[in-house]
Amino acid sequence: MDRFDAVVVGGGAAGLGAAYRMAENGLNVLLIERGENIGEKSVYGGRIYSWVFEEYVKGFRDAPIERWVRKERMTLLDEKESVSIEYSSDESCSFVANLTKFNRWLAERAEDAGALVISGIKVEDVKLNPAKIVADGDEIECDAVVIAEGVNPMLAMRLGLREDWKPEEVAVGVKEVFKLSEDEINSRFDVESDEGVANLFVGYPIFTHGGGFIYTNKDTVSAGVVVRVDSAMNNMIEVYDVVEKFRTHRDVAAFLKGGSMIEYSAHLVPEAGIKGIPNTLHKGNVMIAGDTAGFVLNRGFTIRGVDFAFYSGILAADSIKEAMDKGDVSSAGQIYEDKVRKSLILRELERFRKALDVLENTRFFDEYTRMMVGIMNGIFDVRKESNRLYDVVMDKTKGRKLRMVLDLLSAFRGL
Amino acid sequence: MESIENRLGLVSFTVDSESHIKPKEEKCDNCRLRVCLYVCPAKLYRLEEGKIYFNHEGCLECGTCRVACPEELEWEYPRGGFGVHYQFG
Ligand SMILES: Cc1cc2nc3c(=O)[nH]c(=O)nc-3n(C[C@H](O)[C@H](O)[C@H](O)COP(=O)(O)OP(=O)(O)OC[C@H]3O[C@@H](n4cnc5c(N)ncnc54)[C@H](O)[C@@H]3O)c2cc1C
Ligand code: SF4
Ligand code: SF4
Repeated sequence: MDRFDAVVVGGGAAGLGAAYRMAENGLNVLLIERGENIGEKSVYGGRIYSWVFEEYVKGFRDAPIERWVRKERMTLLDEKESVSIEYSSDESCSFVANLTKFNRWLAERAEDAGALVISGIKVEDVKLNPAKIVADGDEIECDAVVIAEGVNPMLAMRLGLREDWKPEEVAVGVKEVFKLSEDEINSRFDVESDEGVANLFVGYPIFTHGGGFIYTNKDTVSAGVVVRVDSAMNNMIEVYDVVEKFRTHRDVAAFLKGGSMIEYSAHLVPEAGIKGIPNTLHKGNVMIAGDTAGFVLNRGFTIRGVDFAFYSGILAADSIKEAMDKGDVSSAGQIYEDKVRKSLILRELERFRKALDVLENTRFFDEYTRMMVGIMNGIFDVRKESNRLYDVVMDKTKGRKLRMVLDLLSAFRGL
Repeated sequence: MESIENRLGLVSFTVDSESHIKPKEEKCDNCRLRVCLYVCPAKLYRLEEGKIYFNHEGCLECGTCRVACPEELEWEYPRGGFGVHYQFG
């Protein structure tokens, strides 16, 4: 058997970034994915920030992009009403894609570059000094291993590289995909064929940490909810039911009407930001990347995981290359650690440390959402006598103005 | 309304004969929270006559039950090639 310079565990964005980059740099790299096919185990909401793919992937413009996001909508929901704000632009920095197809495309690029990609095999164990992986009863020794096994860090935990997530550190996302015609989507969402919409929701039906989402693909629409696991536990939220409540809300149903559901999926997403990053990202020449390391940034109105995952894979690949070039391959793990700590990923997570406190505050998900909807109702609900804006606001904020002003200030600073 | 059974019917699975998740009977018998009953998005945990039953067919491999369970729940991914095959992700 060939000797591999490096083995990558997991064919999500993180593992594919590592394998692609190493192959581009002329390393002999093997990627092992447990799914029968690449991409079939990855699940996300819907949109990818393009910068890292534009910068690093040749031929990126041929990727299976569904639509470029031109409209961002934020919707506050209560049981019967909703308030939305929309931002629209003719430029776009992110695109909607099906993650299964997108990862499959990335795997093809990695293979074109010379990586060996094997799917349908689960890595059972990773060992140190020398680095090796155990799969299918065989051991494969190599110079470095990148563990990119996704959010459930089963191998990383066994190696003592990180602890399991606590319920307050992750959210469960449940997504449903609906088939609709391209024209129908264009007219319903008021977009052209190559233009997409990202719509996030807070409030109903969760009213606590989490929310809903809708993304427009070319001829399908993704919709679903995300609930922090501790909140689901404490409030006895039936997760399979809450996604139905969301889907059947009048203002969500309007977008999905007539569409048939074609997929139901669920996945965890790290929500702990900078606090979810373990103290060390490597042991010897074994490193962790992507969700396994907790590289996800949630600011409430944007979530970034795929671009960070891919980029962390690139950093791992570059570290291994650098160590080999220095003639001291054993230093790869430490080089990776240093690179990541100085990288955009950790800078961004650090910059939004305070966002964690803001998003911890359940008043934003419940009280203030209802308040905003109530104010709008007060203004627009005209039955003979109209309400003055001033009176409506005074009435809806009675007895909680100071706390609200302080909360809003914290949100401005943190998000 | 779409029942959870109908929703799971939209997804293709290669089901292994052995379960990759193994709740322990004595732990479940004494568990007061029983959060698995509602946090599992596939509703695979059921309570019948005071006992917890689990069926791994239909597992979406999210990991929520492992994170939520107050006991140490024996949880692994299915063997290579088995389990859920998402088409859209
Ligand atoms: C509901 C939801 C919405 C989200 N929305 C967005 C969004 O809109 N935009 C965004 O950028 N991010 C979003 N994210 C986050 C994003 O999905 C992740 O951060 C990103 O996909 C992580 O990539 P990864 O490669 O680390 O993990 P994964 O994509 O999970 O890949 C891990 C891979 O490793 C494989 N694997 C695991 N164990 C083994 C083993 N032992 N042997 C072999 N293979 C193994 C798995 O099968 C899998 O293919 C969302 C997440 C969720 C859950
Ligand atoms: S939460 Fe864990 S211990 Fe309790 S009943 Fe469920 S599986 Fe058993
Ligand atoms: S991993 Fe997810 S889908 Fe599978 S049993 Fe646990 S909670 Fe349910």
